Amino acid sequence: MSNPRVLITGLGAISGLGYDLSAYWQGLIAGHSAIKPLDLQMDDIKMSLGVTVPDFDPNDYFDASEIPLLDRYSQLAVIAAREAVKDAGLTNCVDTLTDAATIIGSGCGAKHTDEATYDQLYKQNRTRAHPLTIPKGMPSAAASMVSYHIGTKGPAFGLTSACASGSHAIIQGMAMIKSGINDVALVGATDAPFTYGLLKSWDALRVASNDTCRPFCYDRSGLVLGEGAAMLVLESEEHANNRGAKVYAELAGGGMTSDAGHITRPCIVGITKAIKNALHHSDLAPHDIDYINAHGTGTIINDATETEAINRVFGDYANKVAISSTKAMHGHALGASSALELVATALAIYHGTIPPTANFTVADEMCDLDYVPNKARQKQLRAAISNSFAFGGLNAVVALKKYS
Amino acid sequence: MSLDIVAEIIAKTAHCKIEDVKPDVELKTLGLGSLDTITILFELEEAFDIEIPNEIIPEITTVNDILNNLDKINH
Repeated sequence: MSNPRVLITGLGAISGLGYDLSAYWQGLIAGHSAIKPLDLQMDDIKMSLGVTVPDFDPNDYFDASEIPLLDRYSQLAVIAAREAVKDAGLTNCVDTLTDAATIIGSGCGAKHTDEATYDQLYKQNRTRAHPLTIPKGMPSAAASMVSYHIGTKGPAFGLTSACASGSHAIIQGMAMIKSGINDVALVGATDAPFTYGLLKSWDALRVASNDTCRPFCYDRSGLVLGEGAAMLVLESEEHANNRGAKVYAELAGGGMTSDAGHITRPCIVGITKAIKNALHHSDLAPHDIDYINAHGTGTIINDATETEAINRVFGDYANKVAISSTKAMHGHALGASSALELVATALAIYHGTIPPTANFTVADEMCDLDYVPNKARQKQLRAAISNSFAFGGLNAVVALKKYS
Repeated sequence: MSLDIVAEIIAKTAHCKIEDVKPDVELKTLGLGSLDTITILFELEEAFDIEIPNEIIPEITTVNDILNNLDKINH
């Protein structure tokens, strides 16, 4: 059975840091936090901070006739997918796109569509739902819309695992290429969580900070929600090399576990095993890793548990690994975060630059590693991992290698 | 039923000019498919506070078909 190497040959991102990949990367290496006061005209929301795509207008990207079928989460997905395909040089490669897979993760799905309908029915006492509510709001809508707008006609489906959705989608795409199902896969994740109902629900969980997101710091006070999308073009090595594609990094492997334990509290056993599995699957040893893009939500429990897991896996080498959480900059965009973070990790390898942990003050005593505080660091990276540890105990770790 | 209101609703869904929505024009020539047709029926239900039965959908080919069915429902 074939087991080709899988390469990352195209990237796209839309986030609070800007409308494209360049704005995203420039924001990251500048240590710019896109966290801002929320301006949503919702009086009784306790959550005061968030990361939204600034001044986003779908009319800048879509014809008026296309917008009725595009929930905001689908809009962001298609925009990032277009950029990734263009970046890979595949925009006009009809044959390649026709065969390509499309796997789009999302943590919360088409909330804007659902909420608009429920608002009409429950709050305005209307008797009808809009007829596009189902096709626009189904959990696989973003996958359908990406396929439709890009012209990818291979296997296409949505995938959901809360905040690990992007990592699981990426690992799934890799597995399909390695198994010979596809040569090319368009993978990533999207989320647009700023709706009244969802914000009230996050308020109830009491995990959001009204200060800012400060991963691994003693004075951290929780996460800050974000929105965005990130997409990657994955290719078998042979396919990429035959067309002389630019290569950001090798997608070397992934590790996935589930805690089967607490529904929100991270489990040290599960996340430790996920990291170990990712290294094993990638044929990497701990001392091969130069950078970890952490899950790093900024909550008390996550950052301490993640640090302990890294210490357990990496032992004495743990304090030699550069670790950063980019969530302090792009916010916690739920499932999209894990895709945004893998894009950051691939760019870190490609450019030899580690994005920092922004908003960093002083490390917590339970967080005793090198978190690359506030300033980006120049360093040639041999390999890196990106951690995602989702609510529900769903863990996914993706490993990248520099490609040569 | 007023052609003006119906034409306005169809034009909004078809992203065309209202004057292009003439009684004998076929919906498909305005670029409208089945999903657009049910969107138009939804908008008409909302505008006129009526219930349009599913059974009329196969009968709708032209703008006139919509107008005639609306008249039937109204009487």
